[in-house]
Amino acid sequence: MRILVIEDNDRLAKLVADGLQRRGFSCDIATSLSDADSALGGAVYDAIVLDLGLPDGDGVTWLANRRQYRQMPPAIIQTARGALEDRVTGLDAGADDYVVKPVEIDELAARIRALLRRPGPRVQPVLEAGCLRFDTAARTAHRGDCAIDLSRREADLLELLLRRAGTVVRRETIEDALYNFNEPVTPNAVEAAVSRLRRKLDEAGATGALHTIRGVGYMLKDVAA
Amino acid sequence: MTYRRSVSRKLARGLALVGLVGTILLLAAVVFFYSLTFDDLTAQDALINAVREMLEHVALPLVVLMVPVAFVVRRVIRQAFDSLEEAATAIEAARGHERGFRIDTSHLPAEALPFTDAVNDLLGRLDDAAMRQEAFAADVAHELRTPLAVLSLEFDRLDHDDAARLKHDVAAMRRLVDQLMLLAQVDAAAAAQFPLESVSLVEIARDVVSFLAPDIIAEGKAITLDAGTAHPVARGRREAIAAALRNLIENAVRVTPPGGTVNIRVGPDPVIAVGDGGEGLSPDRLRELVRRHSRADHASTSGAGLGLAIVDRIMAAHGARLTTDPAARELSLHFPDT
Repeated sequence: MRILVIEDNDRLAKLVADGLQRRGFSCDIATSLSDADSALGGAVYDAIVLDLGLPDGDGVTWLANRRQYRQMPPAIIQTARGALEDRVTGLDAGADDYVVKPVEIDELAARIRALLRRPGPRVQPVLEAGCLRFDTAARTAHRGDCAIDLSRREADLLELLLRRAGTVVRRETIEDALYNFNEPVTPNAVEAAVSRLRRKLDEAGATGALHTIRGVGYMLKDVAA
Repeated sequence: MTYRRSVSRKLARGLALVGLVGTILLLAAVVFFYSLTFDDLTAQDALINAVREMLEHVALPLVVLMVPVAFVVRRVIRQAFDSLEEAATAIEAARGHERGFRIDTSHLPAEALPFTDAVNDLLGRLDDAAMRQEAFAADVAHELRTPLAVLSLEFDRLDHDDAARLKHDVAAMRRLVDQLMLLAQVDAAAAAQFPLESVSLVEIARDVVSFLAPDIIAEGKAITLDAGTAHPVARGRREAIAAALRNLIENAVRVTPPGGTVNIRVGPDPVIAVGDGGEGLSPDRLRELVRRHSRADHASTSGAGLGLAIVDRIMAAHGARLTTDPAARELSLHFPDT
């Protein structure tokens, strides 16, 4: 997977690219927006990591402009401040996700993986998280070489959790995604489906991959423990 | 008790003096006018006459004059000081919103203006000083972040056991720097008189728990949310309340041993309680921790730092309280009823 890192601090850019490379991404660096334009003209990227303050302009305007005219890979914005207000500015700017600068490589890698799992123009037919794989076309799941036999609903649930692996998926979200509007949902239908899926994952050897956050929702671990 | 000057007491003394001097002068006038001699006063009839004359010409005028004067003066003073007392109440009510506060001088007597103007001027200078200090803290924190990030990225490249430990230390330092920035922002926001909105505490708790859960689970700990069916609401600023809860939960996670659970409870009153697997925090210890720079004894090296101080600041700005229940091993955010 190819990532474009747009960052004007040379040293920081190299360190970020280096860290991402060691986590299995291939990275190019652009130190200005014109650099980024030519890089995007010459290659196809799966995601871009965008710093906001660049020598030849503002990253937000640049992103919005490019979005207007052509297909763009999903973008993660690095916002400088992360405490009270600025949390939202990155997302308002049309980024797909944001991280607070300076970024932790593990977090950035996790965000990129999550971004790539989202449904979008460049659909990934196979979703992966840790040792789990799910083929969205064939609706089959594997742990390593071991196939996991899932019902339709369990497959839907696994896909939903995999697409957001590493983040908490709310109980209501699961309910909305798995059950039709006019389908009667028993109060513990989600719990039952999750526990069936968990049992199957456990049997396949992916023990402890599916976590319950009681009162909130569920989470599939992103990396194998 | 130190002796204080009181305007009323001074006036009472002044009026008594005026009364005394007036009495003597009037007595002298009566004696002179009627050309009374000592002999007149010794004779029975003359004495009665003299006393009646004195009562008519001395005591009566004095009473007629002094009583209304005393009454009016008392009233005027009371009124003048009432407005000062109101100002004092307003100052007391501004507790927690000190930034940008000025005494309202529109109802104060002109004589009090030089004093209140000077106090307002002083408040302005204190605000400026606080603002400069916060801006400085925010700048320092902001400037520190990039070198710290570079440092942690460099450690990331090293393939050495020590690197992980050092990276952990740098991460703790970064968290402290982030907290410092947040604290500066909280203070600045408190000064800015932000508009209040009604926020659902359950929603905030869900968001914050969802946000923190991945890291908590990665540490081998668990987190649960117990919201019940009530939907308590607080008035305030969503991001600020979320930041307070985030800090409170992070603090709870830190004192919870691996394998332990952090439990968040919301409602039915506007209360969010965070229970941890630590030893419980006594009210005295909490007061101590809330003061900016101290740290809990049982905190690990990851730095309790400013967390609880931030929580307390945000609570104060919302008219809310941070309390501890050592027996239940819980820290709670109590919001005023809406």
